[in-house]
Amino acid sequence: MLSRLALRVLAPAALRSWAPSLSVGVGRQLHTCQQHLAPVPPLPEGGKVRHGIFPEEFFQFLYPKTGVTGPYMLGTGLALYMLSKEIYVINHETIVSLCFLGFAIFAVKKYGPAVAAFADKINEEQLAAAEEVKNDMINHLEQTIQSEKKEQWRAEGFHYIFDAKRYNVAMLLEANYRERLLTVYNEVKRRLDYHVAVRHLKQRMEQDHMINWVEQSVIQSITPQQEKESITKCILDLKTLSKSARATV
Amino acid sequence: MMTNLFNQFEIPQMFGTKMTLITLLLPLMLTPQPTNRLSTNRTYTLTKWMLKEITKHLMLPTSKNGFKWAPLLTSLLLMLLTLNIVGMFPYTFTPTTQLSVNMALALPLWLATVLIGLRTQPTKSMAHLLPEGTPTLLIPTLIVIESISLLIRPIALGVRLTANLTAGHLLLQLISTAALSTIKMIPTLSLLPTVLLILLMVLEFAVAIIQAYVFTLLTCLYLQENT
Repeated sequence: MLSRLALRVLAPAALRSWAPSLSVGVGRQLHTCQQHLAPVPPLPEGGKVRHGIFPEEFFQFLYPKTGVTGPYMLGTGLALYMLSKEIYVINHETIVSLCFLGFAIFAVKKYGPAVAAFADKINEEQLAAAEEVKNDMINHLEQTIQSEKKEQWRAEGFHYIFDAKRYNVAMLLEANYRERLLTVYNEVKRRLDYHVAVRHLKQRMEQDHMINWVEQSVIQSITPQQEKESITKCILDLKTLSKSARATV
Repeated sequence: MMTNLFNQFEIPQMFGTKMTLITLLLPLMLTPQPTNRLSTNRTYTLTKWMLKEITKHLMLPTSKNGFKWAPLLTSLLLMLLTLNIVGMFPYTFTPTTQLSVNMALALPLWLATVLIGLRTQPTKSMAHLLPEGTPTLLIPTLIVIESISLLIRPIALGVRLTANLTAGHLLLQLISTAALSTIKMIPTLSLLPTVLLILLMVLEFAVAIIQAYVFTLLTCLYLQENT
């Protein structure tokens, strides 16, 4: 009855202490304690035994009262008691049990370590396989992290590429513009040259025509009397020139 | 002092009730319990390895229909192995020396394989009664012979195990009695039976393991014939 009263008193306090964790979420409480399945270390292999069957704790239990030889005295006394009082009768089965004991001891001594090593090897292989999976996963994830960081570094350097590309495009546009400018200049020059050439041609033709006209009118104006006078003058000039030329030489 | 060499095969009783069933449950107590741990102790690791090997070797030649017999055959082998080896200990009772126990195992298993064969593939299981390449005149005779051989199988299965183990235990008792008698009179002479006893013990262990294996293997073989 008192206990019920105590429980009734303590219940609200208990609820209050639980309430915060409940209000936060049930999952929170699970993860405060260690998970039960992994990585649980393996149980230690077997307790210590003396002579293959008797646990060490038995000897320790008897040690305070009977010392080191206590358990052995107990064993010997018990065996002798059983034999002498014929509680255990020696029959053919005793021989069988002695042979069996000898065989068992021989088998354990000879093949025990090998079998234990085999069992340990199986265990180790299992654990190693699990570890390998874990390590592979860890390595794979680390590599992913490294490559992700590299990608981020690459992304930082992209603006250089963009600037270069922009510059290239500007260069192209400039070159194109200049090319077109040159074309325009050449075309315009060609047309102007054409007009200049036409003007020159016209002038030359006018000049030639005028020269021809003047020649024609001069030739027409020359009378036969004038022609004879000019020829005789030319002959007289030539004679005087030849005389002076002979004189100089 | 033994009154009778066969007294060792008496079934232990408790107030008149035979305790065969309880003795058959011994392997269950000796097999380690499965756990969820990844790294187990040595006993369980070895048990697990042994069970895996047994199942693998039994089921390798078996067809897909026979796979549902895997747990039965593996546990059968494990039980027979444990019973036979524990029976090697002095002052123990081996249930597999009793014809009743072995027939109770052999007959239902054999009958099950035959019925499965007749039910699922009657033509093929009937065809087993006639070996290939027999001359036409001999067919009726051979069918009769093969039918007899088929019907003998459960008896053979049960009696083989019983006889082997009983004979082994008897021999052990006989030679140890000889050793005990000569130890009192001519100790030097008793060395011979003792040495013989040790050798026989080794043989008996081997026989115990082999007989358990043979029993299970033959059952598996009958299963392969019929599935």
